[in-house]
Amino acid sequence: MPAELLKNVRLLDAATGRDDVVDVLLDEGFVRAIAPSLTEIPDDAAVQDCAGWVLGTGLVDLYSHSGEPGNESRETLESLRQAAAAGGFTRVALLPDTKPTLDSIGAIEGIQSQLKGSSSRLQIWGALTQGIEGQQMTELAELAMASIVGCADGKPLAHPRLVQRILEYAQPLQLPIALWCCDRELQGDGVVREGMDAMRLGLPSIPAIAETSALATVLECVAATGTPVHLMRISTARSVAMIAQAKAEGLPVTASTTWMHLLLNTQALSSYDPNLRLDPPLGTPDDQKALVQAIESGVIDAIAIDHAAYTYEEKTVAFAAAPPGAIGLELALSLLWEAFVTTEQWSALTLWQALSIRPLKCLGQEVGAIAPHQPAELTLFNPSEPWTVNQQTLKSKSANTYWLGKNLTGRVVKTWNG
Amino acid sequence: MVTTTWNRRHVLSLEDFSPAEYETVLQTAASFQEVLSRRTKKVPALQGQVITNLFFEPSTRTRSSFELAAKRLSADTLNFAPGTSSMTKGETILDTAKTYLALGTDLMVIRHREAGVPQAIAQEMDRLQTNVGVLNAGDGQHEHPSQALLDLLTICNLLDPKVPQLSLLKGKKVAIVGDILHSRVARSNIWSLTASGAEVHLAGPPTLLPRWFADFVAEAEKTQPDVPRKLMMHWQLEPALRDADFVMTLRLQQERMTQHLLPSLREYHQQFGITGDRLKLCKPDVKVLHPGPVNRGVEISSELMDDPNFSLISQQVTSGVAVRMALLYLMGSGKPGGEA
Repeated sequence: MPAELLKNVRLLDAATGRDDVVDVLLDEGFVRAIAPSLTEIPDDAAVQDCAGWVLGTGLVDLYSHSGEPGNESRETLESLRQAAAAGGFTRVALLPDTKPTLDSIGAIEGIQSQLKGSSSRLQIWGALTQGIEGQQMTELAELAMASIVGCADGKPLAHPRLVQRILEYAQPLQLPIALWCCDRELQGDGVVREGMDAMRLGLPSIPAIAETSALATVLECVAATGTPVHLMRISTARSVAMIAQAKAEGLPVTASTTWMHLLLNTQALSSYDPNLRLDPPLGTPDDQKALVQAIESGVIDAIAIDHAAYTYEEKTVAFAAAPPGAIGLELALSLLWEAFVTTEQWSALTLWQALSIRPLKCLGQEVGAIAPHQPAELTLFNPSEPWTVNQQTLKSKSANTYWLGKNLTGRVVKTWNG
Repeated sequence: MVTTTWNRRHVLSLEDFSPAEYETVLQTAASFQEVLSRRTKKVPALQGQVITNLFFEPSTRTRSSFELAAKRLSADTLNFAPGTSSMTKGETILDTAKTYLALGTDLMVIRHREAGVPQAIAQEMDRLQTNVGVLNAGDGQHEHPSQALLDLLTICNLLDPKVPQLSLLKGKKVAIVGDILHSRVARSNIWSLTASGAEVHLAGPPTLLPRWFADFVAEAEKTQPDVPRKLMMHWQLEPALRDADFVMTLRLQQERMTQHLLPSLREYHQQFGITGDRLKLCKPDVKVLHPGPVNRGVEISSELMDDPNFSLISQQVTSGVAVRMALLYLMGSGKPGGEA
């Protein structure tokens, strides 16, 4: 592959905070040179005028779902990899809720051998409990030795005793642990966040305390054990306040919300679109506001995509009967940029960091600066390119998204995976 | 026939109904009441049209009412019931609707146990650029527009037997009592009664009457500023009943006890049951409505239900046919084959 010269590109380096317009020369997977105006260019270099485009640190997704193995009609590892690249994500961490679940070294090595050689980095969360059934912990000490990002079930743990024991047992392991705080009994048969819109629409509702009471339990367990925990899928204003307090007290917690919880609230449910059936559900307008502010303030560390593909048949049902989840890898950057950067609510860097180095920090990982001699793990984004979301434009095997058929502005041009 | 403008292809909710639309339904229904009082109770208004009852949730009363209404308009009717269908064979709700579309359906009357299904089917019909109309005959806990409209007609008929009109309800006090949370009938009635200018008082225990009901009605004034709405909420029965002109009670599902919403039927009846004694708080000529089927002795005492001096329950059932004829006529008359 010839060298590539990106001229007049806006460089957003999430690691250093750099944000300026430069020329960037890439070759053989490495950044070769960065300067306001590059003059020494290899003869065969492909030159691209990138005025108005953004070249940023490769995006990182903290957690998403793979259809393969077990549900290949929804998504395969290959379609997921392509979707990730099309959306600007150079690293995606997959939850272990495949069939079979990724709850043992054997299962994890199996999937990793399939991923070998693929350019984009699909990484693995090992399960916290056997079969992700929330009954018995997995062999965490052994899993900690494997090349996984950490352990998470991606499902709520129903038993506080188990949460406490896992955090105790994992203390010496240096193993990132992610928990989703949700009390299934309080959730009941609810499908939307309790409040004015749920009442108007006649949809069974979930009180915010389904999240916050479980969060309180986890925070107490963290306080008692000192084991660091990442709090997944934070969706309520009250949770934000609790996490702010926990962090102020010095508890070793990090937190994430999902891109859709930042973009939408219960008012969007008037459409009864089954693609807005999420778990946890979309928040009220107050929840949404608190989550957006928490990304700005850093109380919530990262934006996760929680990409969950479902087939047309699975999602073409009543709202309340739909399986929760939606695709997002190919949509998140465009929509978040339009909602927060174009409107100047956030700086471009705030968004970019919340989608790259901040999720990596939650995993205890780091990424280098965009600099000469460094591997090119980069995303090139054109914020003004219009496109339409449909089966043809999406790389994902499924199209279960609220934005299907809609016109978006901003699209990833290319990703480099170092 | 009444000449009015009607631009609505679907009737999915009463949330955005305008006062003019309520008037149109009332006047059209009144003219069909006249038809129903004749010896030949049938008009050729929708001759040649196909009306399909897609009742994904079992229903006898509402389905019978819609079927009779369609027949009185000379439409051909098709009935779908999930027990006799291929729903269990992996067919989606949209597949079912499309099958009936292919059979030549002009109007679909849809009931489903989950909120939003009639709307999903209506959106699909629009996306396919058909001009099929969808009428919501009850979706989950969301809405049941034809029930609220028949309640409206029943009340108007009582206030003026000759000309039912919305303005008759202005300043009247209507109490809606019971399990508001789970009631699609309550939600539709909240929209229609508040739009009519009536003062609506909701009463129920906090577990069955969450505070958000007042909020979403207040919020509606932002989108319909010309429709001021008066809604009050009470966690006790007495203030709701005091000087009420109409009392609407709602069916209480037995399973509410096991969902930790109520301690017992006994206490519920004690606190919120409508009895002859309690009605003494209301206006002397107060009338009681119930969408049925009634749990005798729970939400309403048995003798009150059968007392024609108070109960409008059988009038509600009768009004139902005229109102459903009106809706089907208004939705269908713009279509080819329908009488313009």
